[in-house]
Amino acid sequence: MNKSGTDIQFAICGSAGDGTIASGDIVKRAAAAVGFHVIAFDVYPPEIRGFGKCISRIRVSAEQAYSLKEKTDVFISLNDSHAIPHVGEVRDFGAVIYDDRSIAPIREGAHITAHIRPAQIPYGLPIRQISEQATNAARSRNIVVLGYMAGLLKLPSRPFREVIAAKFATKPQAVIDANIRAFDAGLEAGRKVFRLDDVDVGTVPDHGGSEAVMMTGNGAIVRGFLEAGIQSYFGYPITPATSIMERLAVEMPKQGGKFLQTEDEISAIAATIGAGFAGSRAATATSGPGLALMTEMLGLGVMAEVPSVVVVSQRGGPSTGLPTKTEQSDLNLAVFGGSGDAQRIVIAPTNVEGCYRCAGMAFEIAETYQTPVIVLIDLYLSNRYETVFPSHENTFAPKPRKVPELAEGEPYKRFAFTESHISPRALPGDAGMVHTVTGLEHNELGRPGDGDHMRMNAKRHEKLISATRYPGLTVAKRFGDAGKVDVGILGWGSTFGEILEAMFEAQDAGISCSAMKAVMLSPLPVDELRAFFDDCRTVLVPELNYEGQFANLVSGALGRPVVRLNRTVATPMPVADILAEVKRLAAEADSPERIPATAGVGS
Amino acid sequence: MNKRVEPVYLEDKLQEIRADGHLKYRSKSLPTWCPGCGYFSMADGLTVALNRLGLDNRNVVTVSGIGCASRFPFFVNTYGFHTLHGRVLPVATGIKIGNDALTVIAVGGDGDAFAIGGGHIPHAARRNVDMTYLVFDNGIYGLTKGQTSPTSALGFKTSSTPYENGDAPLNPMMMLLSYGASWVGQAYAGKPHHLTDMITAAIAHKGFSFLRILSPCVTFDKTDNTYKNLSMMVRDLPDGHDGTDMMAAMALAMQDGHPALGVFFQAERPTLAEVMQTSIDRAQQASAT
Ligand SMILES: Cc1ncc(C[n+]2csc(CCOP(=O)(O)OP(=O)(O)O)c2C)c(N)n1
Ligand code: SF4
Ligand SMILES: [Mg+2]
Repeated sequence: MNKSGTDIQFAICGSAGDGTIASGDIVKRAAAAVGFHVIAFDVYPPEIRGFGKCISRIRVSAEQAYSLKEKTDVFISLNDSHAIPHVGEVRDFGAVIYDDRSIAPIREGAHITAHIRPAQIPYGLPIRQISEQATNAARSRNIVVLGYMAGLLKLPSRPFREVIAAKFATKPQAVIDANIRAFDAGLEAGRKVFRLDDVDVGTVPDHGGSEAVMMTGNGAIVRGFLEAGIQSYFGYPITPATSIMERLAVEMPKQGGKFLQTEDEISAIAATIGAGFAGSRAATATSGPGLALMTEMLGLGVMAEVPSVVVVSQRGGPSTGLPTKTEQSDLNLAVFGGSGDAQRIVIAPTNVEGCYRCAGMAFEIAETYQTPVIVLIDLYLSNRYETVFPSHENTFAPKPRKVPELAEGEPYKRFAFTESHISPRALPGDAGMVHTVTGLEHNELGRPGDGDHMRMNAKRHEKLISATRYPGLTVAKRFGDAGKVDVGILGWGSTFGEILEAMFEAQDAGISCSAMKAVMLSPLPVDELRAFFDDCRTVLVPELNYEGQFANLVSGALGRPVVRLNRTVATPMPVADILAEVKRLAAEADSPERIPATAGVGS
Repeated sequence: MNKRVEPVYLEDKLQEIRADGHLKYRSKSLPTWCPGCGYFSMADGLTVALNRLGLDNRNVVTVSGIGCASRFPFFVNTYGFHTLHGRVLPVATGIKIGNDALTVIAVGGDGDAFAIGGGHIPHAARRNVDMTYLVFDNGIYGLTKGQTSPTSALGFKTSSTPYENGDAPLNPMMMLLSYGASWVGQAYAGKPHHLTDMITAAIAHKGFSFLRILSPCVTFDKTDNTYKNLSMMVRDLPDGHDGTDMMAAMALAMQDGHPALGVFFQAERPTLAEVMQTSIDRAQQASAT
């Protein structure tokens, strides 16, 4: 993002049970309520119980940020042993807030103060003691630190109080009061110390009256589905997609929708396709292992030309892999998975707003092209929070259906060859158009037979080409410097946020640089991609997988070389890594004798 | 012995068959099954049943998996979905949820049902999806040319069990009863009139109805489930069988060596659509208050 106005990153680190995530939640909601843009990502331990490490990172800014920052401005430790390895992420002159009254004797070096660098500013306070004094319990430590931070930064305290009250709204009044007391006690302590004026809160941006909604990627998917009038949902729990089904289980019945937890992912996609055949707006959501099970059915959806919507949130793989860590290694499966030539539509939003738009439009696209549409995201996008300023007119609602028209005595051809390669679709219940669809190759009537295989294959592929120009859908977009540049960064999915941040930094460093995001991964928007390649001296493709699945896809389709940057580090792509690679490539572009780009896997 | 049987001429029957009206449920495609295959009785049985029930063909969907049995949708004049091997039930469930006004009839063979698709049956049954599942059980894989199936008898020699089948066969009737199917019945392709009555009753039932239809594969089974053997083995339901008595139904199901023909068990309980409607009502009440 551009460097003007507010841009503060908070991080709260504690162990499960400390209320770390809850306190981060209050920060982001309070910031959004005031009108700031927020992007946030929580890290949880994989175990449900126990004392694993939790970190909540929240970036609050005047303009939309695209990823978290490398360096945190204000860091709060609720548990020193978990926090110590992360103190290094605090920037120079950033604040480290910690408990300075330990209740147990501490080993040499085990206290956080031993790890705070001279340039960082330590803020110790008796967190536990303040909590106990305010509420008779140590449980509100996570709220005390919020008050302290608000005092330290001179943040308005009203939004915090409101969000705290709302968060505990279902609890007895005494609980709300205790938490407000804890906040106020922290606030008082914070106001007493000298102000941390190196962190500037700045002014609240103007959004023209539109109200911020704080959403995760999964929440945005749900909102898009609901606005599109989703009628049936079938799903099987799997991290990181589960919260989509849980939210739909609550919300769909309110608008008359049918929700079913199926016995596995095969039945989830089978029922989605069945419902789609019956004319219902149907969807399912899963992660890589579930998508692997679904591929045979996706082929049926392609062959029988039945619409369906599948959200896939990737996690580390292969196999059960890294269930709670992000990765972008299911692109091949999403684009190619299954038997035969089974071209389908794959769209991969790059931010939370994009999740909302892609999910909202997916049904109409699936219905238009009569084929499965995969919305491909990942854990980082599923779980990260961003503020979205949604428009108020609902553009995703279904348009009236056109029933195919038949001339007198003419047989209904479900798979008629047409100019657009799309055949008018009748639904069960329509009179005079009774037909059977099949996963066997068939003729225009849908009767099994191999005679038309070549033409039918062409039909199924060609009909999708126009999807790359689907009205209202961004299939690819270029950012940064226009015209010829030294380095182009091409990305997809959640990683594009880090790519943009790296691009801005590279531009600041005087490098001629632009970035392109590809949202439609199948069919590929080749015209846009080719134009980008034509303008870039080198194209860098950073992605969170080992070999470069998107790099392979693009360089295969365009016949152009790319430079790969691959990381499988179980976290989002480090901006510094992208920047370093951009600088290296820019230096090569400068040197009279160009060194050939290393095309190998991540260095 | 020398009593003369009056011959029946097709021309005379034709008028009767046409007038009856069930032919409008036959598709223009002729069945591709081998001559003598038991499955012909099913095509006849279903079309007559639909005619009897007076269902409009545009509101009926026949769904199937893959196999000889699963070719069925092409031979009846209803909406049809010929899906994947083993996946007929989840697709059919989706269709019913997608449009509750449709009459959904799922069809498949024994391999489709109890081998590759075996994991789906308990769930369709326990959810009581309002549809009919017709399993054409020939104890063999017909379409792939004669391998053993989960209902093949011990000792059966097939191309995949050249030294005799040693895997104990499943008992589909006991399975479906214990899965909670709300209508469980058995019929035999060699008794087409009874079969037709059973298909009619199965479709008329509100909830998940399971009808196992014993049927010979005349091409790949010359020794076990032949017309001759099956005709000797099958028997009528015992007099006074109480179709609401689960214990009696289970006892009957256990005697699979002498398969009884008829309705083993029948119960009334909420269908999936009704359960979903309850959720919708509760959600809407909760958000209204
Ligand atoms: C995933 C998959 N595996 C295997 C097959 C091959 N296959 C087709 S039908 C069939 C078995 C058919 O037997 P059954 O279900 O008893 O039906 P029948 O032909 O006897 O009516 C098999 C193994 C397939 N089509 N798909
Ligand atoms: S192979 Fe067997 S089951 Fe298949 S059509 Fe022929 S006789 Fe019937
Ligand atoms: Mg069989």
